[in-house]
Amino acid sequence: MLNYLLRRTLLMIPTLFGITLVVFAVMAASPGGLTVSTLVDGMNLDPEGRQALEDYYNRRYGLDQPAPVQYLRWLNNISPIGFERQADGTLGGFSLWKGVDLGTSFRYGRPVTALIAERLPITLLLNLLSIPLVYGAAIAIGVQAARSHGGRFDVASNLVLLALWSVPTMLAGVLFIGFFASEQYWRWFPTGGVGRREALDQTWLPWFAGFSDVLLLMAAVALVLGVLVWAAVRAPDAVRCPVFLLLGALLGYGMAADLQGLVPGILHVVLAVIGATLLAGIARLPGTALRLALVVPLAIGVGTGLARWAGAEFIQGGYLLDRVWHLVLPVIALSYGGLAFLAKLTRTSLLENLAADYARTARAKGVDEETVLWRHVFRNSLLPLITVSATLLPSLLAGSVIVESIFSINGMGKLAVEAVQMRDRELVLSITLVSGLLTLAGYLLADIAYAMADPRVSYE
Amino acid sequence: MKLLEVDGLITELAGGEGWLRAVDNVSFSVAPGETFCLVGESGSGKSVTSLSIMGLLPPGRFRHPGGAIRLYDGEQSVDLLKADSAALTALRGERMAMIFQEPMTSLNPVLTIGDQLDEVLRIHQPGMDINERAERVLMALHEVQIPRPTERVNDFPHRLSGGQRQRVMIAMALICEPALLIADEPTTALDVTVQAEILKLIRELQASRGMGVLFITHDFGVVAQIADRVGVMRRGELVEQGAASAVLRQPQHVYTRSLIAALPEHLERGGRSAAEPELAASEAEAVPLLSIRDLTVHFPIHRGVMRRVVDHVRAVDGVSLDVRPGEVVALVGESGCGKSTLGRALLRLQDVTAGTVTLEGRDITALSRRALQPLRRRMQVVFQDPGSSLNPRLPILGTLLEPMRVHGIGADDSERRQRAEQLLERVEMPADSLWRYPHEFSGGQRQRLAIARALVLEPRFILCDEITSALDVSVQAGILRLLRRLVDDDRLGMLFITHNMGVVEFLSDRMAVMRQGRIVEEGLTKQVLEAPAEEYTRTLLAAVPRMDGALLSS
Amino acid sequence: MSDAGSQRLSRSWSREVAAAVLRRSGARIGLVWVTLLVVVATFAPFIANTHPLYMVVEGRASSPALANLQALDWVWLAGFVLGVLALLLKGKVWLRLAGWLAGVGIAAAVAYSSVSPPLLTVYEQYREMERDGRIETIVRAPIPYSAKDYLRDYGDTGMEPPVAGNERHHWFGTEENGADVASRMIHAARIALGIGFIATGIALLIGTLIGGLMGYFSGVIDIIGMRLVEIFEAIPTLFLLLTFVAFFGRSIYMMMVIIGITSWSGYARYVRAEFLKLREQDFVQAAVACGLPLPSILFRHMLPNGMAPLLVAASFGVASAILAEATLSFLGLGLVDDPSWGQLLNQAVQSSSFNWWLAVFPGGAIFCTVFAYNLIGEALRDAVDPHTQRRMDS
Repeated sequence: MLNYLLRRTLLMIPTLFGITLVVFAVMAASPGGLTVSTLVDGMNLDPEGRQALEDYYNRRYGLDQPAPVQYLRWLNNISPIGFERQADGTLGGFSLWKGVDLGTSFRYGRPVTALIAERLPITLLLNLLSIPLVYGAAIAIGVQAARSHGGRFDVASNLVLLALWSVPTMLAGVLFIGFFASEQYWRWFPTGGVGRREALDQTWLPWFAGFSDVLLLMAAVALVLGVLVWAAVRAPDAVRCPVFLLLGALLGYGMAADLQGLVPGILHVVLAVIGATLLAGIARLPGTALRLALVVPLAIGVGTGLARWAGAEFIQGGYLLDRVWHLVLPVIALSYGGLAFLAKLTRTSLLENLAADYARTARAKGVDEETVLWRHVFRNSLLPLITVSATLLPSLLAGSVIVESIFSINGMGKLAVEAVQMRDRELVLSITLVSGLLTLAGYLLADIAYAMADPRVSYE
Repeated sequence: MKLLEVDGLITELAGGEGWLRAVDNVSFSVAPGETFCLVGESGSGKSVTSLSIMGLLPPGRFRHPGGAIRLYDGEQSVDLLKADSAALTALRGERMAMIFQEPMTSLNPVLTIGDQLDEVLRIHQPGMDINERAERVLMALHEVQIPRPTERVNDFPHRLSGGQRQRVMIAMALICEPALLIADEPTTALDVTVQAEILKLIRELQASRGMGVLFITHDFGVVAQIADRVGVMRRGELVEQGAASAVLRQPQHVYTRSLIAALPEHLERGGRSAAEPELAASEAEAVPLLSIRDLTVHFPIHRGVMRRVVDHVRAVDGVSLDVRPGEVVALVGESGCGKSTLGRALLRLQDVTAGTVTLEGRDITALSRRALQPLRRRMQVVFQDPGSSLNPRLPILGTLLEPMRVHGIGADDSERRQRAEQLLERVEMPADSLWRYPHEFSGGQRQRLAIARALVLEPRFILCDEITSALDVSVQAGILRLLRRLVDDDRLGMLFITHNMGVVEFLSDRMAVMRQGRIVEEGLTKQVLEAPAEEYTRTLLAAVPRMDGALLSS
Repeated sequence: MSDAGSQRLSRSWSREVAAAVLRRSGARIGLVWVTLLVVVATFAPFIANTHPLYMVVEGRASSPALANLQALDWVWLAGFVLGVLALLLKGKVWLRLAGWLAGVGIAAAVAYSSVSPPLLTVYEQYREMERDGRIETIVRAPIPYSAKDYLRDYGDTGMEPPVAGNERHHWFGTEENGADVASRMIHAARIALGIGFIATGIALLIGTLIGGLMGYFSGVIDIIGMRLVEIFEAIPTLFLLLTFVAFFGRSIYMMMVIIGITSWSGYARYVRAEFLKLREQDFVQAAVACGLPLPSILFRHMLPNGMAPLLVAASFGVASAILAEATLSFLGLGLVDDPSWGQLLNQAVQSSSFNWWLAVFPGGAIFCTVFAYNLIGEALRDAVDPHTQRRMDS
């Protein structure tokens, strides 16, 4: 196994080399190439000033040299083993320990390492929050669909998942921002960024005006939670559906009232119907676990809303809540696509394995259907999910680009777009390197996870 | 005393257009301590019957419009068709157990075999604690003669061979000492020697426990070895049943008679091959059509970080063999002995590491692709799997015409079409097959078309790689007769790879036994079969279940 | 021997697959939408055009719409007619496809060399003439605005919601420069379809070539090919696209080529896997044993049988190509003057207010198109899956 790890890690190097070479070649081959003129064009400088600026850039960044030399320069910079670079830009002696220097960004004038260090954590935060959400929800939905194979949930969920997968991330993001985070419609969420400036000075947890407010909040949430959970889990069908239908209609009406006042109009009716349908759909989901998972956050939200309406006051939302509040929409926008894809994959994989020979042997032994599903089939069905997880990280990184642009989050994705628009050579190459590294590391992790999960696979 | 009684069982399966009646009014019974064999060709409904008994048909895609299946416990009985799922689950594994055909896929690959054995005990014997269960598991492995059970118990299934996996399946089935064991072709996918051991094992376990065994098979040799009573199924109906000796010696029903007559060991050898010994002598001086000398094919094994070659898999290790015109040489051996690799190597479909292959006097071992191309006319091949032997996208005409065009046979396409039609006639296929696609034909028909494709270039030598192994006995008989006729009429040389001794007896003039890449024995078929010189050949021949040879057991 | 075969009409594989696909309702919905899109894109100049279809001015009849048809419009029309012909005629699938391509090529050559519409288009003239009362009869297109008609003769244009109530009727509203959204969406359908098919075609070509070579020859070619595939897989596609577009400029042909170049790796993997499997199949070995020439083995025996996963992947690939173009336009890196759905979507959140009609309608179009292709892809996948095929009886 160690041999295999070593081999894979060593093989990463030529691939990274290839990736950066391709990106560099694209930049160099473009009209205008990687010369200093693209940096100074457009500034209204007199000829001497322009010449001085060009000389400065050329000396600093080596932009007057031919493309292959520029690439080699950059390679030398990023490699920990190589020629040292002196402060004025000339090459020094060979050293085995000179450290990695990603260069300085043309546009920002700051070291690239600092820029990436600032922005990468945010992107990673978004993505790492998405991954468990995606996997957890996908497995839950996939299992339920496979269990009721051919039934209503299966067919309906298949269609819904395919539709979800087809919604482009930018459309979802735009709709989210437009409807749920803007002045004109419901202002439930903030318009962008990862946190408010004030939140940085606040306490971690929310701070209430008084003890009675806390009590009120808890009471409201407990009440709503209790009622809804009972309705979702225990109540018979005949009770559950009307309750949720009514709740949905009320919520829809309330949303419309928020915009247009209490007088009933077309919007009120439409939203009430939509709300009622959605919640009735939840009520009729087969599978208690699924219903519960959806009902609990709903109940907490409704309870909190109820408490606020009854007069409980927050002095401060607190840092944690502020962060969560800002991240809800971007994370949803980032994850729903992967969720849809993985849920369908889970379902297909489960169905294949449920019909497999070894499942038949298990049934012949007297194992009941639930145990066959969870003990025998489930682990085998996870294997394709692990394989796919290798491509999940790159696709999430790509999705980040769009989501960060829409929600004005200063992450790596946004940085990448800016770097490319500004033709910032150092930044572009470094971002390529970092994302390439992350992607390859993701592949390697997925392979290792697969080897751990499947005893048939052993790397020698 | 009754154990299992199937009474007028009707099972219908959901097909593409409506319900198919897979089992039609089948009635038989199995007594404790008795082995009942259900025999039939593919599509006869024997597997569906066994799955109906266990209730393992795919949910929602079957129904039982009539009949009953009663499992007895002393005087009381339970109708399995009417039992609810909880009751059935309790019965499975405890009172009735089943083992399946494919040992490779029938065990869960991610659980250890100890785990899987332990599970049966956990479900049906909740009284046992963890140590008692572990002991019982080890005992079970010991009973099925798995060597070193304490080490094996923590192994994953992929580490075991096919025969060992089947033993584990048997252990799993019998660990709770059920009264009824249903075995659905458990040895079909195994080598002949392994099959013999597994059959012996099942017999012994049955004797020691007094189990009733319902054994599904298509092999009459197996029936002869282990059955007390036999039922013959055809297209969902039970056409004949009775004591094994009676049914096998004096079959009453026309279908049973035709099945037994179609067994290769019962086929008549006609024509010139009847006068075999004299002709064989005179042929000994004839120039061999195909001559193999010290053929070696080694595959390298790579290990380590730099993928260095550390060793070789010796697939073919110095084989010498001759095939003369008008003669069929049978190449027999168990799986993994290298016979298929040998076949592909001599056709130059596989690279040769060392040795020579001489075709009609010319050394073709090292010829370039271009030089080899015209010679390819002289040697052709028919493969095993009817599903992939013909290009699914081309109509038969295309498949037959293209080789003729490439090698310049026939002046124009209409003449080639005529030749193709004549060829179809020779392989006993209707002329309008030319316009059809492979998926419209059955397996046996496809093999005939594959033979036609092999004949279209008028070769002198044909390699047949287990071409009838995937076919039913009656279909196989037709193809074997066709092959013998072709060889006799055209004086072709044929190398026939097989593992079925009955086929060897009928079809071949000479035979060679292969083991681990080497030929261990070779000679005239009659001689080798009657008086094998080598130990291995003797073991191999003894392991083959014969209808007429071994009498009924117990 | 069963004679089940003789009763059924002999059907080739492509007919079987097509029939299986058409049986599924999802695929039918998808195909309906795609057909609608194709029709709209082809006849765009007759559906949304400021130039009237027929006009009589001072006694003279004319058809400004026809007179202003660009060469590209003619090529689209020719492609449509030829495509309908190709579907109706009988014959091998690849022959019909090749014929259609050749026909379109010839039509393009003819159109670009002979068609020359007037260079300068003044959209305002018709409205002016109408105001002056000089027009006797006029037959307008259903949406009387062109994609690039910025309605400059009205001084107060800007982003307007649908059916704003003034004298201008915009079913879908207008975008920030005043042009009609519905018209731009219709013309953008051409971009979407064109990029979808051509980019996927390019990617298929490259991927099949490289993957086929890798799968058939193995050895050194395989090692080099796999490294190439890995490199292109590991580069974040969007990023490479961004880099390409930002550095090379934003012409539509460039975008087609670029999207094609960045997405071939998946097809290469499929083809390689299929070829590796097919190499061991009996009929391929038999073809080699018959001494058939290499091109025949590759293109007649192996490729047609390995195409199944390619078809499925291509359907999803067209959807993702359309999405890629829309994303680039959305990020402001798309085509400069030509309309695009993504670009319209971008304008939805540009100003401080949310312009819902620019999000819902173009976004909805993107969604419906991607959904349609995904539905077709799913139906194809079910149709070519060997598990769902009839089991052969033997």
